[in-house]
Amino acid sequence: MMSTTTSLPAALPRAPRLPLRGLGRWLVIGVTTLVVLLPLAMIGYQSLLSAPFFMPGKVVSLDAYRFVFDDPDFWFALRNSLLIAAGMVGISVPCGALLAFLMVRTDLPGRRWIEPLLLTPIFVSAVVLALGYVVAAGPSGIFTLWWRHAFGPEWWDVYSLGGIAVIAGLTHVPHVYLYASAALRNLGSDVEEAARTCGASPLRVARDVSLPMVMPSILFAGVLVFFLGFEVFGLPLVLGDPNGYLVLTTYMYKLASKLGIPSYHLMAVVAMLIVAVTFPLVLLQRRLLRSAGKYVSIKGKGGRQVPLRLGGWRWLAIGIVALWLLLTVVIPVSGVVLRSFVTQWGEGISLVDAFTLQNYRDIFEQDNLVRAIVNTLGIGVIGGALAVGCYALIAFSGHRRHDAATRLMDYLVLVPRAVPGLLAGLAFLWVFLFVPGLKEWRNSMFAIWIAYTVIWLAYGMRVVQSALMQVGPDLEEAARTVGASAGQVSRQITLPLVRFGLLSSWLLVFLIFEREYSTGVYLLSPGTEVIGALLVSMWASGATDLVAALSVINIAMVSLGLVVALRFGVKLHD
Amino acid sequence: MHHLTRRATLSLAALALLPAAAFAQVPTGYPATYQAVIDAAKKEGKVTVYTPTDAVAGKPLVKEFESLYPGVKVEYMDMNSAELFNRFISETAAGTASADVVWNSAMDQGVKLAQDYALTYESPESKALPYWATYQKQAYGTTFEPLGIVYNKRLLPAGEVPRTHAEFIKLLADPKYQGKVTTYDIEKAGVGFLFLTADDQVNSALTWDVVKAMAGAGVRLQSSSSTMMERISSGEQVLGYNMITSYAHARQKKDNNIGYQLLRDHTLVMSRVAFIAKAAQHPNAARLWLDYLLSKKGQTTMSTASELPAIRTDVEGEMTASALQKELGASLRPIAIDQHLLTYLDQNKRLAFIKTWRSYVARK
Repeated sequence: MMSTTTSLPAALPRAPRLPLRGLGRWLVIGVTTLVVLLPLAMIGYQSLLSAPFFMPGKVVSLDAYRFVFDDPDFWFALRNSLLIAAGMVGISVPCGALLAFLMVRTDLPGRRWIEPLLLTPIFVSAVVLALGYVVAAGPSGIFTLWWRHAFGPEWWDVYSLGGIAVIAGLTHVPHVYLYASAALRNLGSDVEEAARTCGASPLRVARDVSLPMVMPSILFAGVLVFFLGFEVFGLPLVLGDPNGYLVLTTYMYKLASKLGIPSYHLMAVVAMLIVAVTFPLVLLQRRLLRSAGKYVSIKGKGGRQVPLRLGGWRWLAIGIVALWLLLTVVIPVSGVVLRSFVTQWGEGISLVDAFTLQNYRDIFEQDNLVRAIVNTLGIGVIGGALAVGCYALIAFSGHRRHDAATRLMDYLVLVPRAVPGLLAGLAFLWVFLFVPGLKEWRNSMFAIWIAYTVIWLAYGMRVVQSALMQVGPDLEEAARTVGASAGQVSRQITLPLVRFGLLSSWLLVFLIFEREYSTGVYLLSPGTEVIGALLVSMWASGATDLVAALSVINIAMVSLGLVVALRFGVKLHD
Repeated sequence: MHHLTRRATLSLAALALLPAAAFAQVPTGYPATYQAVIDAAKKEGKVTVYTPTDAVAGKPLVKEFESLYPGVKVEYMDMNSAELFNRFISETAAGTASADVVWNSAMDQGVKLAQDYALTYESPESKALPYWATYQKQAYGTTFEPLGIVYNKRLLPAGEVPRTHAEFIKLLADPKYQGKVTTYDIEKAGVGFLFLTADDQVNSALTWDVVKAMAGAGVRLQSSSSTMMERISSGEQVLGYNMITSYAHARQKKDNNIGYQLLRDHTLVMSRVAFIAKAAQHPNAARLWLDYLLSKKGQTTMSTASELPAIRTDVEGEMTASALQKELGASLRPIAIDQHLLTYLDQNKRLAFIKTWRSYVARK
């Protein structure tokens, strides 16, 4: 539904054979609608009540809305969210586009191993990254202290609004990169070559030739990042505290304790407002997609790609990539890793003396943490595969169809993204508690799996659809002409063709399931611990040592998964 | 009666020596009928505990309990207090399994929950508790954790460590400490709110002087004790106010930057509140766990291996109420587990207090 459509414009001449149709299709659409809208409906209903919806004393009222609108904090948070979102777009769009150009279109050395690194920020929890930034670049951070000794006072402040926006912007570069690079890959390089032959510098080629051609995808990614700007939580939670900067999501978090006991109705109001603010963005994305087609000059087939020779420019290019990697990956990750191996850090402390392995020993002494590691692997590998199956079904139900139901699904899949994970997790707890017949499932991995699958619907769909879109309709049509049934087409043509695409989807979903944190918090029970949710709980109860060590284990699992998959020839994308 | 109990105990003790009979004995001083509770608990097989006390502190208690009552497993689930509240009331409303025992560090939420959800149960150990630590035979205080100043030893010279609130105020006036003091954001941390209102009840004028002095020193507000501790240890902040010093005591062992000081004029004491849920699925095992937490044995383990100061005055050692009593005497001000804890759960009162507080500390 997203980037992919830029390569294959929305309006195809006519719908060929549908891999999924009739009753099956409607069933898939129905189940998806239900699973997405049920938690949202619960939140909407809750926002109109005066007390938790399951309590006897509740009454319907708009007081919660009044409370939030009268609260100066809300307006302050809204302003900050807007600023941060705008800052994120301002940073991530140019950086992402530039990186995509360098990676896809040029002969930049080391592209193969840089690519997985580029995507790291997507696969590491924001809370972990934020902790890393505090340890590495905070006022007493390791790099800050080095800087101070070498060059005098530092000029950055990770706790300022600008600092948060820059960090959020840098860590969202991969989102733009994914869209821009996908679009670039689908363009033939002959136009660029022509420009180069006429004596244009690589920079000029990028600016005047490549950029305009992928503009729709970049705009689209920009809107997406703006949208994500409203739901960043981990970074402002950790970095916004010292100076009291609130954003909408941390404002909601604050409402959980402001009145002494959690005020669901207020939290639900904020969630509804976030949905209201972000919904127009979804509409805007749709518009952008519709107009995307007309820019595309060369479609999938013809693309012969010859990398642009950078020549002397390569050092500048390497410098740019290295700088971004340093700021976004090396600094925070080294901060977390370092924190996990020391008992203390800060000004005047010798890190060598503070070295310890105790934090890791502590982890392996606790059964629930060990179980969490196993479960997290399980939910990534098995749950990831099942989720890809579900996403594929949903994608098939809209594959090469352009009716009202398909449009509905396109909107629907974005909805869960707009609800902050914390409240979404609580809503899922309610679904499992209060929808008859689901209670027995609550303490199983199934509950966590379904919550993850729904929360990451938009991401998963994008990943799976880009795999499906790689298969042109002509092969399916050809099979039909020689007399194959719809089922045969699916089994013998479409599925084998998308097999590798689905495999890489599996990898991408695995990575994202490994790092997910706030959703599982309320679904934790003995036996179903997952690392992400434990990190949140442990962070709150004060075990920073263990949080750091567990984060490192988490990062190691993600990296290992990535390395193994890449070794077996799974591609991040084509 | 007493005689009977002892005989029962003795014979059971004898039984316990038999290799095959691995069942637990009635603790000394308990009514003989307690054996029925133990037997029933074994049939139940487990007890579920929801608590913000982290698993590292909980582990020694769980271990000892399970060895005292073989066959009764403890499902120890640590979570933050907001999560605890949400889960517990949602699960109870839905009628599914939830906590058998809630062991909460957010005292106000503890009493609020106890009021609506606690089983009335008079623990045989309750007599050993101070008068302020029991609520309606429902909720019981289990620890004796003084609040104080936690500071960075490298950055705050021993001679400058404040010993009273007045000294603390004076210290903050020093421009050297501008931006170096931290405390709870009372809007984001319920316990921080509780501690500040408790301060206010002890000495209101002084409390607001402290708030003003911290505001003047550019106080950094944090939403949890762990973030404060981490920043103090790294030197980003130098000292923190109203912090739970038992955490600092525990951390000192592996982090020699951390020091703490109890204030001589008045020192607040918080206590983790435990109660048994009315809807407990394992009510007997829950009784065993609650009684164990309050027992001399449990309290001794708590004050040593778990590093949570014991509330019972008959437990001796460094981290105990009796040791603190000797050190600070009447300046100890425990936060009583009673109706007063609910005062500020009233929305208007709470918001009014927050408004006053913000008029001093809010971002300018």
